[in-house]
Amino acid sequence: MLENFSFRTIVEYLPLFGQGLVTTVWLSLISFAGALAVGIVLSAMNLQRGWLFRVPAKAYIDAVRATPLLAQLYFLYFGLPRLGFVLPELVVGILALSLNSGAYVAEIIRAGILSIPRGQVEAGVASGMTYVQRMRLVILPQAFKVTIPPLLGQAIVLVKDSALLSLISVAELTRAGQLLASDRFMPAEGFITIAAFYLLLYYCLKGLAALSGRWLGLQPARSST
Amino acid sequence: MTKTGMIDFRGVNKWFGALNVLRDITLSVEPREVVVVCGPSGSGKSTLIRCINGLETIRDGDLVVDGQRLGDPATNMTRLRTEIGFVFQSFNLYPHKTALENVTLAPIHVRKIPRAEAEQAGRELLAKVGLADKVDAYPAQLSGGQQQRVAIARCLGMRPKIMLFDEPTSALDPEMISEVLDVMVAVAEEGMTMMVVTHEMGFARKVAQRVVFMDAGAIVESGTPDEFFSHPKTDRSRAFLSKILRH
Repeated sequence: MLENFSFRTIVEYLPLFGQGLVTTVWLSLISFAGALAVGIVLSAMNLQRGWLFRVPAKAYIDAVRATPLLAQLYFLYFGLPRLGFVLPELVVGILALSLNSGAYVAEIIRAGILSIPRGQVEAGVASGMTYVQRMRLVILPQAFKVTIPPLLGQAIVLVKDSALLSLISVAELTRAGQLLASDRFMPAEGFITIAAFYLLLYYCLKGLAALSGRWLGLQPARSST
Repeated sequence: MTKTGMIDFRGVNKWFGALNVLRDITLSVEPREVVVVCGPSGSGKSTLIRCINGLETIRDGDLVVDGQRLGDPATNMTRLRTEIGFVFQSFNLYPHKTALENVTLAPIHVRKIPRAEAEQAGRELLAKVGLADKVDAYPAQLSGGQQQRVAIARCLGMRPKIMLFDEPTSALDPEMISEVLDVMVAVAEEGMTMMVVTHEMGFARKVAQRVVFMDAGAIVESGTPDEFFSHPKTDRSRAFLSKILRH
């Protein structure tokens, strides 16, 4: 059965996979940075008491979470040009991933901030801190710690979602697999190889998550007093 | 206008929904006076002192603190709070900061005191509460009593005119209560204006000029510690005292 499996072809196509991998990595990095920016703004809006910012933020988050990423991607890729915005596919892809992932990031950040006990806010208030000072000095440093592991989880999801960009002909990792599959009619070789590369990226991010967890969670052990 | 104390409640009312948690409170606390507030749980004691620094807002009546009327547009609440230290039952230290950083955070960022000066003062304050050797410890490394002493030092770091204590020893193991009360006695003896919600009668007898007894949101009785503990005037205060004195 495996005599048909051509390792040689995989090796032959390695440069193409390499390029695809590099593209997947950097476009994921840019998209995740974008998602963080979108998420920070959305979570800040969502935490306001007044409805003016909160309602649009909630509507956006719901809309993104309720619809498939593929539909969002196609809307941006096919829909926007009809509305007069023509953008390169790579830009559309990064935009789609940032806007999509940003909604999830917003919820992670909001949950992190809300997980800080009320007493911390009151301690800040009682010592005369302004809202911004409380956020900067008391709440965010604590929330930051608890949000890092779920944010890295979201980064893993984003890397996998970036495979969809192959459908709008961005030359990333999955696209490389598709090329091998269609050029030589070797879908097994093509897709098992990209799977291996995604697994590699996954372990890198997971390692980072574990490292950061240990590094940030460094609460000194309770000493006997 | 009548004379103005450091803290002046005049006909203050507050509701939580339909519940009248503060009923027509009139109470004046003089500068350097120490007032102990006691009463059964749910009687509104904590709410009473939380109103003073605006952690709770009042529905009607007047509350004047350090000459400024709360709720008045001219009153800068953030600034007023820098003059009022608040010690919480659950300490509420910043867990990501060391003891010294807990004490210096607000002086540096709110009072804009230079870091070196704030740290020097912070070390002195921690030494004063008996924690000179815990300057670099994180709250999780400290016992409850030590955490509460850091919390008191954190308030003193702002050089407040008033200090409010919301059941400061209720969350502590019995053997840690006295170390916190000793610090509070020292603060009182330096002439701080204090309102203390507590059932620690030893503390009240030692430093309080007045004990205020609350029940169901109203001030039922008020007098010197000696009058209150030895000759309670109302049935409700007698019933309350018999419960807390029984064991």
